[in-house]
Amino acid sequence: MADDSETITTLLETALVAGGYEVTVARNGPDTYEKGKTEKLDLVILDHLMPGLLGLEIIEKWRAEGIETPVIVLSGVDDDRTVVQSLEIGAVDFVRKPFRLNELMARIKQRISG
Amino acid sequence: MSGIEFLRITVLVVFSLNGLLALTLIVWKALHRRRQKGYERRRVAYLTLLSRHLADPDEDLEMSPMVAEDQAFLDALIDIRTSVTGAESDALAEVIGSYGVMDRYARRLGSRHFRIRRLRAAVALAEVADSSRAGVLMKALDDHDPEVRIQAARGLGRMKWTPAIDKIVDRFSIETPWVRARFSDTLIGFGQKATWPLVAYVKVNHRFETAGPTAAIRTLGTIGDQDAARPMVEVLEQAFHLEIQLPTIETLGVLGAPIAVPHLEALMDAEDWRLRAKAAGALGDIRDVSAVDRLALGLTDRNWWVRRNSAAALGKIPGGVRLLYHAISSADPFARDAAAEALYDAGELIAARRRVDQGEATPNDLALIRLIAQEEVLAS
Amino acid sequence: MILEAFKWIGYAAIAYFVVMQLYLVLLAVVSGFALRNTYHLGRFGRVTEMLSSKTSPPISIIIPAYNEAIGIVDSVRSMSIVSYPRFEIVIANDGSTDDTLKRLIEEFDLEHVRIPYRPDIATATVRAIYRGHNAVDITVIDKENGGRADALNAGINAARYPYVLCTDADVVLDADALVRGMQRIVADRERTVGVGGNIRPLNGSEVELGHLVNASVPGRLVARMQVLEYLRTFLASRPAWSAMHALPLVSGAFGIWRRSAVLAIGGYKAGHLGEDLDLTMRMHRYHRSNDIPYQIVYEPSAVLWTEVPDSFRVLRRQRIRWHRGLMTSIRDFLPMTFNPRYGALGMVTWAGFFLFEYLAPMIEFIGWFIVPTAFFVGALNTETLVLMLLLAFGAGLLNSLASLWLDEPYGYFNDPKSTSRLIIMALIENLGFRQITVVWRIRAIFGGRGVRGWGNMERRGVANLATDS
Repeated sequence: MADDSETITTLLETALVAGGYEVTVARNGPDTYEKGKTEKLDLVILDHLMPGLLGLEIIEKWRAEGIETPVIVLSGVDDDRTVVQSLEIGAVDFVRKPFRLNELMARIKQRISG
Repeated sequence: MSGIEFLRITVLVVFSLNGLLALTLIVWKALHRRRQKGYERRRVAYLTLLSRHLADPDEDLEMSPMVAEDQAFLDALIDIRTSVTGAESDALAEVIGSYGVMDRYARRLGSRHFRIRRLRAAVALAEVADSSRAGVLMKALDDHDPEVRIQAARGLGRMKWTPAIDKIVDRFSIETPWVRARFSDTLIGFGQKATWPLVAYVKVNHRFETAGPTAAIRTLGTIGDQDAARPMVEVLEQAFHLEIQLPTIETLGVLGAPIAVPHLEALMDAEDWRLRAKAAGALGDIRDVSAVDRLALGLTDRNWWVRRNSAAALGKIPGGVRLLYHAISSADPFARDAAAEALYDAGELIAARRRVDQGEATPNDLALIRLIAQEEVLAS
Repeated sequence: MILEAFKWIGYAAIAYFVVMQLYLVLLAVVSGFALRNTYHLGRFGRVTEMLSSKTSPPISIIIPAYNEAIGIVDSVRSMSIVSYPRFEIVIANDGSTDDTLKRLIEEFDLEHVRIPYRPDIATATVRAIYRGHNAVDITVIDKENGGRADALNAGINAARYPYVLCTDADVVLDADALVRGMQRIVADRERTVGVGGNIRPLNGSEVELGHLVNASVPGRLVARMQVLEYLRTFLASRPAWSAMHALPLVSGAFGIWRRSAVLAIGGYKAGHLGEDLDLTMRMHRYHRSNDIPYQIVYEPSAVLWTEVPDSFRVLRRQRIRWHRGLMTSIRDFLPMTFNPRYGALGMVTWAGFFLFEYLAPMIEFIGWFIVPTAFFVGALNTETLVLMLLLAFGAGLLNSLASLWLDEPYGYFNDPKSTSRLIIMALIENLGFRQITVVWRIRAIFGGRGVRGWGNMERRGVANLATDS
């Protein structure tokens, strides 16, 4: 779970832990990229606008290095170009902020078990 | 008192003040630091508490009504409500209400003193947007504090309380620009229900004032209700102030109203370049194919902004792109550059390069790459 | 007879200094009231509402860049994720001799494009224009060297939006600085043509990935002195001036302007050493002489952090440059001084600049010779002299402490170490530091050495500043 907003990370971490998942949190671009490389993750939820490295840039780098972890982009950025680009780069889903928590949890559940 | 006595006293006063300032500074900073740490701790605690409830609505929230006094609680609530939407978020509001927190806020709003507390209460009621509080907020729309009025409108908007619309629109003329801007946001939130009150307001007032009607016209554009198109065309016909005409043109573009096209094409012959430029822009937004020819003429207008807007407009209309390619080999350097920019913005450069890579480059593609990127590419 | 003359001149010199400090104290009091108004409002909702509003006006961030290869990429990156609904970044590469341009093109995938660049303001030759879309639209104007003012003008020419934020490379913008600045525009869109921001020294603070993590008091005394200086102007003077509609200076590091207004007055003056002061005053003059209702305001919560000189050598160059810019402006706007037609701007602010910024170094310098001389020839009563000197010192201290006090609600520097460092600094700054700046300014009057153009600071890069404590 990567986002520079403390509110989002607290919220999602609480919700995910309550849902029985194990959560690793990153707060900026480079940290996210590192964790994605070194840790074994089943799913990444990722904000686009983060300091240091943009979310989409991180996905690009991962895919270039053969890291195929599924990624859900969670972002406040609203323009179509970014949405399309993120899916083209290899994200499996794009959720806009503000988001519906139940919906997001359902998508996460589906991606992990599916 | 002699001069020197006066001097002695002044020096004494100044240094006492200094001592006082230094002392209060040290004390205040220490207090502030403690308060800040406490605030942060509580804010994170509230955040976690509310998050846990969102994740598991069956879990019991332990909350006392006293949280209404705590800024940390309000900030945590606002943060969550800005990030999360939907039914669970609304349920959160109900739960908080059940602990008597909202009652406390509502009472605060009624008090005439303590501006900060009233403001905090208004913000909280707006955040939670529980329709049982609509009456309190309707009254608050008349509050003498503009920030309270803004929050009242915001809350009523979030709970979609339609009787508030007329009251808000009525205030458009007497409010300051800041309040009007925030009222506009609220009306946009109401959506189509706000259309007719706004239209009525504009039709009545546009001849006498500009600030209020201008804001209303722009709001209509953002709401995007096609029903507003015909009345806006009427306003355009009747208005002779530039300050009314320009936003009306813009709004007709944003609405994407085909019935406006003949009027806009006529405006492209206007004396004032701002009308011509705005009209060109609006025609691009409407994307009506019939406007393409008139816009092509706009590429050779004597004013730079008109040419640029015409090019941009052609870039948006199907069939217009063809005309832009025509223009990039034109003799007029400004038309050429305007067309080049519009083609670039329309993504044509990338498309052209892709066609080159696939070996399907047309002469137009090569010309475009040559012009924009200043590169010579061989069509292989 | 001569003794009498010495006595009065001696007292006058010190009295002048006292009056200056008291003028500042008065400003501080007015600023206090002005700040109180804006502070509370700032805490309630305005930022979030503007961020989610579709009516927030778009803005172009203009960054003039000369040999900024070290930090330009990080700087642009962190600016591109600033919280604001719609904005673009325009960088004017002012003929850099390092690989500033190359780094920008590579990092942000920029394409060489032909766009209709119209030189509404004449500038040095524009060689090429590059554009790319990342988190935001980025445009780079590559041009021949012409100085900071010239580069800003080129950026403004290319800007697409009705408002521009003129800033610098290698600064750290507060996350909500842009929204808070623009809020003043939205609050009175028809009249507001300019908004100035609050500049705070970055030295000694922890910066991570272009964001401020923790504000600390700088370790080096040179930088620490400037912290107090900046507080004195940005918290104890500008709020007062802004409230009186008499803000003389919108700082070059953070200035939001209505683009059409900047074009109307012909943009920044190229080659001017104090181009931001000059632009602000010309804005005032233009609108007032044409009877156009307008306002230029200062927003204390729009905060920008920047590296300040941390060596005497660099500071000296900067101060000489500033003073020469001031001298030019005093000359240019002399008709405004003490002119009631210009309201508080002419009668209070500009008069204050003339008396206390322009004349001050000369009077103080003369005072250093006259006062001891007068004392030694017995013209001055010992007790009177001591009392007056104490008064001068005390009033100066009062100003610094008042500024620290005014800064308190914003919550910086809360730990005991920072607090004590700042208070001690306030005590010692009048014992040497201030005097050195006077010497420099005298130097400036008689011709500073080659300080035109950028007055290059040795850029250590924002990332390296944290090692400064």
